[in-house]
Amino acid sequence: MKKLIKSYIKNPMLFVFLIILIFFTPMAIYSPGENKIKGVVTAIGIDKANEEYEVSLLTFIPTANQSYKQKNTVVSGKGVSVTQAVYNAQLAMGRSVGLAHAKTTIVSEDILKDEDVSQVVDHISRISSLPENTVFISTNGKAKELLESTTTLETELGLKLEQLIGFNSLNLYSIDTSLEAFYRGYYSDTHSSIIGELNLADENTSQNEQNSSNSQQDSGGGQEQSGEGSASSSGGMAQQGQSKKAISNQGGAVVLKNGEMVAKLNSSQLNALNLINSKSINQIINIENVPLSGENRNLAYRVRNKRVLKSTKFENGYPVYAVQVSLGLQLSEVDGNHIDLHENTEMSKMTQDIRDKLNFKLKSDFTDALKVLVENKTDIIDITQEFFRNDRKKLKKFIEKIDNIDEFISYVNFKISIVAQPD
Amino acid sequence: MKQSINIRQVGILLIMTIFANKILLMPSLLFSEVKADGIFVVAVLFLLEILTLPVFIILKEHYPNESLYEILSKKIGIILTKIIYILLIVFFFLKVLLVFSVTYVYFKQQIYKDEMIWIALISFLPVINHAVISGIRPLSRTMEIFFAVVLVGFIACLSFSLFTRINIPYMFLSTPKSFFDSIYRHFFAFGDIFFLFLIMDRIEIKKGQSKTLYKYAIIGMILVLILYFLYYSKYQVTSFMHNNALADILVFSVQFNAIGRLDIIAMITIMMITLFQMEIFSYAFSDCFMKIFPKLNTVYSVIVFDIIFCLIYYVFIGKYEIMIKTTLEYFPFLAIIINIVLPIVFLIFALLKRRENEKTD
Repeated sequence: MKKLIKSYIKNPMLFVFLIILIFFTPMAIYSPGENKIKGVVTAIGIDKANEEYEVSLLTFIPTANQSYKQKNTVVSGKGVSVTQAVYNAQLAMGRSVGLAHAKTTIVSEDILKDEDVSQVVDHISRISSLPENTVFISTNGKAKELLESTTTLETELGLKLEQLIGFNSLNLYSIDTSLEAFYRGYYSDTHSSIIGELNLADENTSQNEQNSSNSQQDSGGGQEQSGEGSASSSGGMAQQGQSKKAISNQGGAVVLKNGEMVAKLNSSQLNALNLINSKSINQIINIENVPLSGENRNLAYRVRNKRVLKSTKFENGYPVYAVQVSLGLQLSEVDGNHIDLHENTEMSKMTQDIRDKLNFKLKSDFTDALKVLVENKTDIIDITQEFFRNDRKKLKKFIEKIDNIDEFISYVNFKISIVAQPD
Repeated sequence: MKQSINIRQVGILLIMTIFANKILLMPSLLFSEVKADGIFVVAVLFLLEILTLPVFIILKEHYPNESLYEILSKKIGIILTKIIYILLIVFFFLKVLLVFSVTYVYFKQQIYKDEMIWIALISFLPVINHAVISGIRPLSRTMEIFFAVVLVGFIACLSFSLFTRINIPYMFLSTPKSFFDSIYRHFFAFGDIFFLFLIMDRIEIKKGQSKTLYKYAIIGMILVLILYFLYYSKYQVTSFMHNNALADILVFSVQFNAIGRLDIIAMITIMMITLFQMEIFSYAFSDCFMKIFPKLNTVYSVIVFDIIFCLIYYVFIGKYEIMIKTTLEYFPFLAIIINIVLPIVFLIFALLKRRENEKTD
């Protein structure tokens, strides 16, 4: 025993270890569980009304149960600043807010129209540790209602909000629509970003939309844009007053300039812009009145693979963006003929008429979508960066000449050549 | 009897010092000054740093069993030597403070959001103290044991960042003035190889083994440069917003968000690296302290270190922004003296000794 005590005295670290144990063990035993003092927030929504912010938190409250369903609740707080609103939401929840697991951040369109959204999310992303890889989206209604709809969405379909927008991200935008991606656009030379959009619609309206094949959407810039087809409502519903709201994922996106909304793009415009994006495949291209086997038919093609070669140059002092797009297309549908479609090799042949129609359709769609970007001086497809990468001296000289980098995209001459092949 | 360490252990010490103060906050600081040219700033500073290594090897060849203190005392007298050692005490003490400040902020962001500084001090200081009291051999042996874990963790962080798209960062955007200013301002974060001079009498280098030191130094530098490249490739214009480079390259994308706390890999790696770095720098502090006050033993030096550390950190500095600003603005000159002037002086001593030996022969 004496020997043992002597060895302890010789090694003071054992005492230190003992002191730490004595100091911390009772604290650890008597301190309440983290889930009792912290609310795990999985999504955050920000609205603005009457000069006040309303922050809504989709919180997961861990409770012991025998089913595998998690219990989600929406808690909200109002305040003159976002921080105060978060603080008030904390009071309502009776727990401190933990944003580390917040996978989705929703901002209402009202905020995007009125102010620089980076100012709104800046504080919570930097101080409250909202992760930058959170999916960042907007909604036409109230963010709070969208979150409320989410709880039903999860219960009924087992579908999470980030999965819904994640699908869009992979198939439509072909980029992340994360907070980080927003900041990347915001701090770029052109200060242009794109974020995803999930809309809210009355339950009845949403069902009507589901039934209709074409829908009309209002653009942020005040113009009308027609979508070729709108996606169905996803089933999540929120009750507000008398009307039930449901999430309506139409695959749209919002274009931001200096953090403020300047335009909206629908799914077909996004697809059109993605023509020069080699990562973006699986779009559907519809062409009408194609003479085929002695009849005029409507055809639908799916982009199965894509190869994009880009080059930038200055011709006569003006920027030229030349792109060659090679598309591998699969004939997916022929109007009026549904028998053995895939095995009908005659039908799958691509005639010169089809090629011409595809060429015209893709180019005109691209031009129309590009117009929105040019009108709003937003370079979300990184044309300026492409020129910067390839010839920064000439770009710098040109920018000095036009005196504004924002105008650059309007001077770019696009030369697109499309090679369509059956896949 | 003096504790001695072998060449592999020296190499591991070297890698740990090369990682010091460069893998968390520095990439974002550099980006805000010179954009992605920060990679070149680091490369230039590494180049200057690695020049110290041949000086060390030559000095070691000519003074195989003598300590730096003994060499300096003989050559420039005790008073000047003690002045140099006071400078070294300040240098290494500030290094510990800097590493601790940056790491504390990182862990505060990641885990201990509501915790106090005392919790961090209680967690770190006893381990550091124990390492210093144990001596250089147990310290480097511990690093040798955990080296594989650190290396795997570091490479894992780099590798995970390769799973998504990489855009080559835009280079050559800084002006020559901002570039050289940046080199000067960040001098303090480099030059940790100098630690080897302090323990030169406890290092065993057999003939032909000096290459191993270069190998370890180059591995460490390449890993840091890869980190910078990947970090700037991933974050591009938003690099200035991300203060914890090694951890942030791991959790940059929506895809990895679904995996949950993947950043635990970075946390463990960073915890080990920073702990080892603080042990090395505290050991250097303690070693210099005992040379200035030869009658005091290690325990005294550790107690003095703890008191000064707690006082300065908690009472005077507290905020890490002040710490960073201080080292960037007021202490680059100290780093230049220690990393450039002193090695040049040592080189002269080594060459003089060689001439002396040649004459004797």
